[in-house]
Amino acid sequence: MRLRTLILSLVLASAGLHGGAALAETTYGQGVHGEDTTPISVLLANPDQWVGKTVRVKGRVTDVCQKRGCWVAIASDQEFQTLRFKVKDGEIVFPQDVKGRVGVFEGVFNRYELSREQAIARAKHHAEEHGEKFDPSEITGPEVWYQLDGTGAVVE
Amino acid sequence: MAPVPSSSSAPEGARRRGGQPRWRRWNRALHRDLGYLAVGLTLAYAVSGLAVNHVSDWNPDWTLGRETVRFEPMPVADRDTLVAELVRVLDLPEPKDAFRPAPERVQLFYDDWNVEADVRAGTAVIERPRRRAVLADLNALHLNRLRGAWTLVADAYAAVLAFLAVSGMLILRGRQGLAGRGRWLVLAGLAVPLVAIAWIHVFGSEALGR
Repeated sequence: MRLRTLILSLVLASAGLHGGAALAETTYGQGVHGEDTTPISVLLANPDQWVGKTVRVKGRVTDVCQKRGCWVAIASDQEFQTLRFKVKDGEIVFPQDVKGRVGVFEGVFNRYELSREQAIARAKHHAEEHGEKFDPSEITGPEVWYQLDGTGAVVE
Repeated sequence: MAPVPSSSSAPEGARRRGGQPRWRRWNRALHRDLGYLAVGLTLAYAVSGLAVNHVSDWNPDWTLGRETVRFEPMPVADRDTLVAELVRVLDLPEPKDAFRPAPERVQLFYDDWNVEADVRAGTAVIERPRRRAVLADLNALHLNRLRGAWTLVADAYAAVLAFLAVSGMLILRGRQGLAGRGRWLVLAGLAVPLVAIAWIHVFGSEALGR
């Protein structure tokens, strides 16, 4: 009887670890603080106006960091646009099945200037992760990079 | 039975049979029993530790099943047309949503799986992420992703580990204990973190990671 109780407890505890999957929404990090969101297309239309500001965006996750779960790409309201939502390694870990889910993401919109070498390294890393071909000659110069440095998210 | 005479100056009340001080008896008993208690979490954390140490080489929580499918390349068109064509050509169910990150690339989203196609190249990758059944749970415990009550368990376990380390040094006496080889082994063990910390301060943490 005791053994049965122990096994039942372990099964229930294990189910608790997967609880996020059964819930309608999963909160990551500090979650989000507010209802209003800014369309990604608005942010990217005049990005420098938004640098340093805390914003919330809503969108479907189109990609996720495959090793550490430390970033997701969020689909814009317009085609051919995505915004990277980057979190500190380990503070938030996005699961691989977050891809395809819709969420609200909150963070500080920032601008990064990458030298050509940095841009090549970033593109090479991305290509390796996705098993894609990479040609460094496609990157011809320094790049400006905007991303949301995330503090929290709520995903369906 | 007559008490065993002792050459030590410890009071008689602080001794047990065989002349062993009472604190040693308690130390040995606690080390033994807490050691038994710690076996489960120690093994769990050890397995998870090996897994997460190599996070730059693999994802310790998930596997990503990938199947590449080839099809006749198609001309770039609007999103809805491409989605309908891909569903037909690849014999897929209707996706819950789709997105085009680039004119020739289409992503189809389903519950817990997705398809990314390059219509110009005529390739599609079907991705099915799967959570590693046991390892992901061990990692969640080890990295304290549960927070809340598990933090108390993890703190208690850390305290137990610290006790086991200290009590372990004091179990044996004489040449096998801290007075003999034990001292040198303890110093060798202490040297590992101390040298690493010194290295970080002299050469920086990146130098250690090379």
